[in-house]
Amino acid sequence: MTTRRAFLKTGGLGLIAIGLGGSPMFLNRTARAAAAPALFKRRKILVTLFQRGAMDGLMAVTPFTDPHLQRLRPRLAMTAANAAGDEALIDLDGRFGLHPALRAFAPYFDEGRLAIVHGVGSPDTTRSHFDAQDYMETGTPGRKGTASGWLNRAVGLMGHDATPFQSVALTPSLPRALYGEAAALAISNLDDFDMEGAGAMGGPTTGQSLEALYQQTSQDLLRGTGGDTFEAMRVLESVRKQAYRPANGARYPNSPLGTSLRQIAQLIKADVGLEVAFAESSGWDTHVQQGTVRGSFAQRATDLSQAVTAFWTDLGPLQDDVTFMTMTEFGRTVAENGSGGTDHGRGSCLFVLGNTVDGGRVHGTVPELTPEHLEDRRDLPVTTDFRAVFSEVAGKHLGIAHDDMLFPGWEGGRLPLLKG
Amino acid sequence: MKRRLLFKTALLLTCGAFLWIAATTDAPPPPLEPLPYADAGLTEREAAAHLLNRFTYGARPGDVDRVVEMGLERWLDRQLKADFSDKKLNKKLDPFQALDLSVTEIAETYPAPFTVLRMAAREGGMAREELQGMEQQERRRTIRQYMEDNGLRPQRDLIAELIGHKILRAADSENQLAEVMTDFWFNHFNVSLQDNQARGYVLAYERDAIRPHALGSFRAMLGATAKHPAMLLYLDNAQSTSPEGTATTMDTRLKPYEEKGGLGGRIARRQIREGRERMQREQQEAMQDIPQEFRPRRGINENYARELMELHTLGVDGGYTQQDVEEVARAFTGWSVVPPGERGERARKRMDKRGERMGFVIEEAFLFRADAHDATEKTILGETFPAGGGIDEGERVLDIVAAHPSTARHLAQKLAARFVSDNPLEELVDELAEVFSSTMGDLPAVVRAMAYSPHFWNEESIGAKVKSPFELAISALRALDAEVRPTRELVEWIDKMGQPLYRYQAPTGFPDEASHWINAGALLNRMNFGLQLATGKIDGAHFDLLALNGHREPETIEEALTTYVPLLLPERDAAETTALLLPMATDPGLEDKLNASTDDQPAGDMNRPDDLAGLEDARTLGDDFSPNNPASLARTVGVILGSPEFQRR
Repeated sequence: MTTRRAFLKTGGLGLIAIGLGGSPMFLNRTARAAAAPALFKRRKILVTLFQRGAMDGLMAVTPFTDPHLQRLRPRLAMTAANAAGDEALIDLDGRFGLHPALRAFAPYFDEGRLAIVHGVGSPDTTRSHFDAQDYMETGTPGRKGTASGWLNRAVGLMGHDATPFQSVALTPSLPRALYGEAAALAISNLDDFDMEGAGAMGGPTTGQSLEALYQQTSQDLLRGTGGDTFEAMRVLESVRKQAYRPANGARYPNSPLGTSLRQIAQLIKADVGLEVAFAESSGWDTHVQQGTVRGSFAQRATDLSQAVTAFWTDLGPLQDDVTFMTMTEFGRTVAENGSGGTDHGRGSCLFVLGNTVDGGRVHGTVPELTPEHLEDRRDLPVTTDFRAVFSEVAGKHLGIAHDDMLFPGWEGGRLPLLKG
Repeated sequence: MKRRLLFKTALLLTCGAFLWIAATTDAPPPPLEPLPYADAGLTEREAAAHLLNRFTYGARPGDVDRVVEMGLERWLDRQLKADFSDKKLNKKLDPFQALDLSVTEIAETYPAPFTVLRMAAREGGMAREELQGMEQQERRRTIRQYMEDNGLRPQRDLIAELIGHKILRAADSENQLAEVMTDFWFNHFNVSLQDNQARGYVLAYERDAIRPHALGSFRAMLGATAKHPAMLLYLDNAQSTSPEGTATTMDTRLKPYEEKGGLGGRIARRQIREGRERMQREQQEAMQDIPQEFRPRRGINENYARELMELHTLGVDGGYTQQDVEEVARAFTGWSVVPPGERGERARKRMDKRGERMGFVIEEAFLFRADAHDATEKTILGETFPAGGGIDEGERVLDIVAAHPSTARHLAQKLAARFVSDNPLEELVDELAEVFSSTMGDLPAVVRAMAYSPHFWNEESIGAKVKSPFELAISALRALDAEVRPTRELVEWIDKMGQPLYRYQAPTGFPDEASHWINAGALLNRMNFGLQLATGKIDGAHFDLLALNGHREPETIEEALTTYVPLLLPERDAAETTALLLPMATDPGLEDKLNASTDDQPAGDMNRPDDLAGLEDARTLGDDFSPNNPASLARTVGVILGSPEFQRR
């Protein structure tokens, strides 16, 4: 367990000093660590967002010039032209239009920092949320037995020393994508990372008694992790000390997703060694009254774009270290259903945001929406395997070379999306 | 309820008769071979504590004495037979309604929300989408009314029973080994509440497929899981069918009739044609109920076949090929589920002599679809399965894999990892595999062999296992001799510590090793759990700390430590724990500090899925569950429960 010990050498140091309290044991260790050569190198951070429920990619990024769209989606299709301001799609490239609720993404696209990949999905044709999410998170379509999640494998393949905050999911339970051998933290609220009486100054407290016990235990794992735990707690205590003020005027929506991304930004800025973050947003299963400018889709999309924009604004100069990527288990039917919604389909789209992203383009292939081009004559076909995107983004951004270990059994190639 | 009463009466009568015989013969039980703990340098009491650590959810106060008094060997023998009376537990389980229902009744009484929606819409003469599109309040009211009128109950009540029942049994059952083994085997044959399709069957799965066999025959359990709707749906076998154009069992069985000459042949051919048409028509009708995206298509699904070999039996390096996976999948085509409701009733009615002749089988909710079974020849693990087979092929595959030496090793390894240490010695695994093979998978024999192996008593294996969050929670409750109620809060704590009950999504089950359970977040939650539990902040546990010490309040914290450490960690070398905690006792201002910091921070808002809503939420009950335990003593006990020693077993 030598890897964990590096926590002291990395980001934790400065902050821990603030929250030291009166623990002599800890002082000694800090002094030791301070004497060690600075091995610290700024690490890259991958922030992922799972849109659960299957986002309608055709509504998020609409091929608005397609002549069949109006016929197939009489109540849902929007146009980019001739509509008044906010009611229209934002024309990205003359063929694709961004949903107006995603308007906030347009500047990133124009600046070339936001890439869209369309027609993404899994080779497995299941239309069950459970199965498709499972396959996307394990990274092994069609195989349920894979023990680990792809993000956990990514962490393992980075193969370097880590802190307890190396991979964090802002979820109540660990998501399937982070199952596996590398330690991962599931935490729905940073405030929960606390112990009663642990931070009190002077005199021994409950926390200090427990810390002493864990420092002395003969069981290696409990001793090592115990140390990490108390360190992590001090770090977060100091992170929490002041009410968090997002930078650059960023305003997070008051939603679960807004809260998740704000806390991820908090962790990034606190420099606690975060490298892989996982957040999720729900409500994309729009079977009924999907709406256009208003309606269930627009609501979700507004939340998404506001949360992501706030996150990105808040990061400021730290944007250079971060790549953000969305994913969703599948897309939705090309044709609308009887109740103004869409049913489970196949291909959808995803967003990749970052300063090294080859943005300003809609990558991937979306054919003309005629039955013979559609999968099963009804769904947007999957033209890009999600693994081609994930391996590119995780591979380039986090420096992972072994796609065969990241996605066992997959022989496809990466989709070029990141520079360098 | 009636059924259970009847059953209980029958049981009482049988037991009565048995007792009478036992009493009249009056022979003392034969002496049992002594367990080899003395060779490892353990005292009898230490050995009893080790047995309790491994084969129960933790020692209650006085358990070590009780085991010593009964004799360690006798105690183990009775645990293996699970013949202790469980009166107290059964009384607590009495209000659990689903436990008395058959698997089909459960599916029909507790339909999934999406099924209710469909049924309610149909009754109201609406399209599903129309009801879905209603204004929320109106929709809820319509659905509630529909459920009331039809005697339906929300599925979350079923989940609450499933989880509540697990907690009560683990905490209160006298037959602890049966509970531990049930947990082990459920995890081995994992299915998940996360799966919408399987969710409504999970309770019946544990009750019918796992529990009755957990201290029985492995082959029987394997067969029960293979045929259970929960497994068939979770690993997709229910929708695995022979590809279009492949000869099915039904085709094979009908062939002689179709080839008959003369008038009889003509009549037979017409009947067969009409039969097939009717079947197709009914299948199409049934399809109309299923949203298009869920409509099954013909074709093989390999998921069950692969996990059967990789996880349930042979193990990942157990010597099978991808070819075997495909052939096993073909052998299990047609193993499916009787749908609940009308369609199921119709299917049951149709199961006449003719159905049997064509190869169809219905056993409770299991359905063998002869029209979907690939009846062409197969070769599996080197053995030939001739063309024309039916349900017997799946059974034969189960026989083969259950008896395979790789299976014996794989399971011996897993059992040793659960009961001895994360990395058990090869010699121990070999010994157990040998017993597994020679007894044809008799599980009590394997566990007995483990307890009689010197490796079980090794110094290295004492306290070598880190408790799972569930084990930790239950062992703490047992150590405090707590009266337990399965509240939502308790379940959420176990979840927060990293073990969402029945929700592990992967078919591997929770990894049974310390490195999976212990990370910074989980460990912090473990410590907090200990503190919060002991200080009375977790509802669902009523205990009296003073009663544990004969109603005597320790006068100093030092005394509290020296008294309660051995009470909560019996026969453990706890000198270190006590010594390290003593500074706490010698701080003069401590009492004040502790008394001052009565901070009742609620457990974080955990934003759980609706399922847990069926559990009691004690926070809203304003109940009598806050025992009057002295604050400083509670705090001391909290530290002991949060200590590294208490994390181990």
